Amino acid sequence: MQMTNPAALPADWRDLYALTKPRVMSLVVFTGLCGLLAAPVMPPLALGFTAILCIALGAGAAGALNQWYEADLDAKMRRTANRPLPAGRMDRQTALHFGVGLGVFSVLLMELATNWVAAVLLAASILFYVLIYTVWLKRRTAQNIVIGGAAGAFPPLIGWVAATGRIELLPMLLFAIIFLWTPPHFWALSLFVRSDYAAANVPMLPVVAGIAATRRQILIYSVIMAAAAVAPWLLGLTGWIYGASAAVLGLVFVAMAVAVARNRAPEPSAMGPEKRLFAFSILYLFVLFTAVVADRWLLT
Amino acid sequence: MTRIEGEEPQPEAEIIRARQHARARITAWLLGGFVVLLFLITLAKIGLHT
Repeated sequence: MQMTNPAALPADWRDLYALTKPRVMSLVVFTGLCGLLAAPVMPPLALGFTAILCIALGAGAAGALNQWYEADLDAKMRRTANRPLPAGRMDRQTALHFGVGLGVFSVLLMELATNWVAAVLLAASILFYVLIYTVWLKRRTAQNIVIGGAAGAFPPLIGWVAATGRIELLPMLLFAIIFLWTPPHFWALSLFVRSDYAAANVPMLPVVAGIAATRRQILIYSVIMAAAAVAPWLLGLTGWIYGASAAVLGLVFVAMAVAVARNRAPEPSAMGPEKRLFAFSILYLFVLFTAVVADRWLLT
Repeated sequence: MTRIEGEEPQPEAEIIRARQHARARITAWLLGGFVVLLFLITLAKIGLHT
């Protein structure tokens, strides 16, 4: 029997869910929640919940629009070839409508539940990820991750502003920490999936500048990030729980980045230090942001 | 849709119907949740202004 092209069928809800990049969303939701919980003012539970929901939906919209635009690229990479669009399980128009609808809905709901500053920041984060990172930078420059990392740094700032209505120094520093964390995190990954990026013609740093240069850059950014991470404590914006956590975590991060910089192996199978740094970088962010909240709730 | 007696069910039509059914059910739950959320937001906003 002749079967219709699967993309012509109504999309399965599981594929719509996959379009939102749920795993990326979990980190976004967590840092957004920490920004909200670290704020000096607590909004009512329903409003706080809605703010986090909107951050999650906004991240989902950005993920969907990213996949809509990058379907051709995703098809060339093993890591992403099974996503709904490159695998042919969904048509592009559905993904576009879903992404735009989710994005507009999340921004409007954020404005309704919290304040317009948080809504504007949420809209800016979605547009930054889609237009600046996905459409403009990703296929053009090796600095794509450096500048595009700003999109992922918005959530704690949005969480804080949703609670207070104001942009202040501590959430700005939290923004800076994620901004500086993104390059070593993604470059560690891109080192051991370098062939994927090369096959798809994505100018990631290891493809353009080489493995050794990427390892040096990872170390440089790790040192700057570790220094930025203790700044909130040095400036008196947090207490010792955060300060001690940031110092210890930063030292471990830099030590692992040194191991990466000293590694000379070109083949992915011998990139143990890179894989360990990538895994640790996720743990680093979770523990660091937990420390911000612990500090706020246990010491003040 | 009418099915002719004795004819094999169209797999494609089954898939479409199953997907539509699943999406309709999820949409209904989400809409219900949205209504509850709007109600709670309203209550919280009233609480903030009194």
